[in-house]
Amino acid sequence: MNLEYSGREEIPTGLDTVWAFVTDPTKVATCVPDVVESTVVDARTADAVVHVSVGPVRGKLKLRITLDPDAAAHHLNMKISGGGFGSVVDVTAGADISAASAVATALDWKATVTMRGPVATVGGRVIDAQAKRVITQTFENVRTRLTGAPAQAG
Amino acid sequence: MSTTAEPTRDKYSLGQSMKRKEDPRFLRGHGNYLDDHVLPGMLWLSIVHSPYPHARIVKIDKTAALAVPGVVAVLTGEDLAAHNLAWIPTFHGYDKQMILAVGKVLFQYQEVAGVIASSREIAQDAAELVEVEYEPLDPVVTPFQSREDKIILRDDRENKTNHIYHWEVGKRDATDAALAASEVSIKERVVFQRCHPAPLEPCGIIADMDAATGRLTLYLTSQAPHAHRTVVSLVTGIPEDKIHVISPDLGGGFGNKVPVYPGYVVAAAASVVIGVPIKWIETRTENLTTTGFARDYHMDVEIGATNDGRVTALKVATVADHGAFDAAADPTKYPAGLFGIVTGSYDFPNAFTELDAYFTNKPPGGVAYRCSFRVTEASFAIERGMEMLARKLNMDPAELRLKNFIKKEQFPYPSPLGFVYDSGDYHMTLRKALDIIGYDELRKEQAEKRTRGELMGIGISTFTEAVGAGPSKHFDIMGIKMFDSAEIRVHPTGSAILRAGTKSQGQGHETTWAQIAADELGLDAQNIMVEEGDTDTAPYGLGTYASRSTPVAGAAIAMAARKIREKAKKIAAHLLEAPVDDIEWENHAFHVRGLPGKAITMQEIAFAAYTNPAPDSEPGLEATFYYDPPNLTFPYGAYIAVVDVDAETGFVKVRRFLAIDDCGTVINPMIVEGQIHGGLTEGFAIAFMQELAFDAQGNALNTNFTEYLVPTSLETPHWETSSTVTPSPHHPIGAKGVGESPNVGSPAAFVNAVMDALAPLGVTHIDMPLTREKVWRAVRDAKGTLSA
Repeated sequence: MNLEYSGREEIPTGLDTVWAFVTDPTKVATCVPDVVESTVVDARTADAVVHVSVGPVRGKLKLRITLDPDAAAHHLNMKISGGGFGSVVDVTAGADISAASAVATALDWKATVTMRGPVATVGGRVIDAQAKRVITQTFENVRTRLTGAPAQAG
Repeated sequence: MSTTAEPTRDKYSLGQSMKRKEDPRFLRGHGNYLDDHVLPGMLWLSIVHSPYPHARIVKIDKTAALAVPGVVAVLTGEDLAAHNLAWIPTFHGYDKQMILAVGKVLFQYQEVAGVIASSREIAQDAAELVEVEYEPLDPVVTPFQSREDKIILRDDRENKTNHIYHWEVGKRDATDAALAASEVSIKERVVFQRCHPAPLEPCGIIADMDAATGRLTLYLTSQAPHAHRTVVSLVTGIPEDKIHVISPDLGGGFGNKVPVYPGYVVAAAASVVIGVPIKWIETRTENLTTTGFARDYHMDVEIGATNDGRVTALKVATVADHGAFDAAADPTKYPAGLFGIVTGSYDFPNAFTELDAYFTNKPPGGVAYRCSFRVTEASFAIERGMEMLARKLNMDPAELRLKNFIKKEQFPYPSPLGFVYDSGDYHMTLRKALDIIGYDELRKEQAEKRTRGELMGIGISTFTEAVGAGPSKHFDIMGIKMFDSAEIRVHPTGSAILRAGTKSQGQGHETTWAQIAADELGLDAQNIMVEEGDTDTAPYGLGTYASRSTPVAGAAIAMAARKIREKAKKIAAHLLEAPVDDIEWENHAFHVRGLPGKAITMQEIAFAAYTNPAPDSEPGLEATFYYDPPNLTFPYGAYIAVVDVDAETGFVKVRRFLAIDDCGTVINPMIVEGQIHGGLTEGFAIAFMQELAFDAQGNALNTNFTEYLVPTSLETPHWETSSTVTPSPHHPIGAKGVGESPNVGSPAAFVNAVMDALAPLGVTHIDMPLTREKVWRAVRDAKGTLSA
């Protein structure tokens, strides 16, 4: 099952601050929702254990987060892959970081989620909503961690 | 309406609706299913499954699982390979299948490792800790992708192709010529989707190796206990006398409990090695994703006819999706089962059918769900084809059928595809159905509704089955001829025990087998105990599937009883002090010819057999019979569905459904009616709800009962049933079998009815299941086309 999502976060802080944050695996790992534990492997890689609850399917996924930043283009590729309870999840995400204004940075992101196993067999609408929540929450958490404030509603 | 009479109490009860002898224990919760069994020191097996449909196995790390307290062992394919158990032959012997994956996985949820632990929960938790590293490969999801051979799935096979076999029967050239010359023709691809029988009780085993005796006892959810014992012996080398298979009460089977599954082999191997009982019970997801599925036939149906509606030729070309292994348990000489019945009830002068089967990255199987070895697919193809032809001819579908039926005087009828139909009166049965349902009035109602834009449909299916496999000259599984057997022992006081090589999964054998024997012997059916499913006691038989029990084992019971009657006749002569030749069997008792008042009962003879045997005969009163049927039997039926379709929502209301079945002599009308109700409900589910679907990546999408739907009483229509009786001329009691008829015959009736309803919109075909969404889309698209 392949699912695709995209979004934009405007973070009221400078581009360099945002760039430094999203290229640090220690910080990115903590932005994934429902993280039980995380471990930094090297400067570009972290492992995380995430609790998943999708309808009747519940369990822990062991994920590896790999960052591949292109500093010149301010583009970040991120791969999250792993599995657990007989399921496999692969997320391939890309984010373009640019100055939205003098005081804000834009983070335009796209993600493709591939799932196999029990987690993929939960009803389409349920899994779609859950996957969207996880991805969206991850990037929202980047804002929260950088600014200490969630996005404004509406 | 129902023809079933109130249950009666006639001890010689053939043809009576005797209450099921097995029901009191089921209704009181005293059934004895596999999961009810707990043996001392028993361990549990849980299976690790692949999340990928196609991937190389790079590494399996058992370390974390083995560290869990209570885990005794973790087995992989490499471990089994060391004992030559990594692969086993499939039932018809043309292919082999992996037990635990070695090298690569070929379908999602394929069995990769087995965890043995002290409890079910520990085994399941530890299974999640077995770390398997995969290298994903591109999957092949459809047989049409498969036949391109761009990705070869089976590295283990010599032939580097995904093509499994080509099969054909009939006269290709003559059929092609007749089709080319036909005045009218139809051609349509008809898909019978992959579905699953989903018995309420999934599959399971307790394997118990007794090191002291060297005997391996297998408590097994088995529709064919003897065949399974033989397979285990052949695969393991354990002598057959050292293997004891016990199939306890089964909570449904429908063909799903015929194959040998990896869990069985892993549990048995583990018990042999560890020396304690090992239990494995499937989860619902395991049952739906790894065990024997049904159908998955893509059939191109072509029919030629004259302008006045006389059929001239039938050609059906099928592409079959067999999944990762060719594990369809068909008889050896029939790789496509009995699909040759595709000419159905019609007198085609020319016919040809061919089939090509392919591997895909999906679970193996194909022959399950009351299909009588692919008869369901064949019936669906011809009945949909005839409906399309009727529309093309602008002819009433009932009239087209009546015009082309095989006539009763043509029986025994040699079909152009090789069968010899035993008996039937198709005209009588359809006319009875048309009369009961009020066909002419329904057509008038339909015409009125169409003037108001309402969508009402009437669908007919007049199917013929080929069941009762089968005659030994043609039918075997793994070389074992498809006879069946019965053993009857009459006790001194006139009760009896009857053992058969079959195995009921709900069919009511404890009742119907007793009724056959009671009628043949003049004993009380209530006092005949029926025993099946224990290979230590039952005579060797091929089991219960494909509607074969009554045609084969039912015949064996009658013949064993007749052997007993022959011996009883000598005892009667001894007791009546008359020559044997003067003894007659009449009204369930023996008497001297010309002296009907001086009769002697079988009870009296039974007592004498043990206390006062005839001078020239051995004591006791028992017999065994192995029945090799001379031919298949050919039950048939006429089904009519009446539906209303809501164009706004796609909802199909099955307003009426009439099933007239002719299964020859009826042993127990109530049980037959129960079989038909159950089969119709399954046919309804297949037509409207059920499909094992896969996405483009090979992910199974229906792995539980929230996604794979089983109809409840709320969805299930009301069934109307009736019957005609044309006995089989070659069966000892004239019975033909009925277990699969409703599943075989009903899907086409439902689909034909919906297509009839949508005919004014120009919709000619929708592939099953006819979900609301599909019907709604078809209506929307058709209306768009009409308005454009």
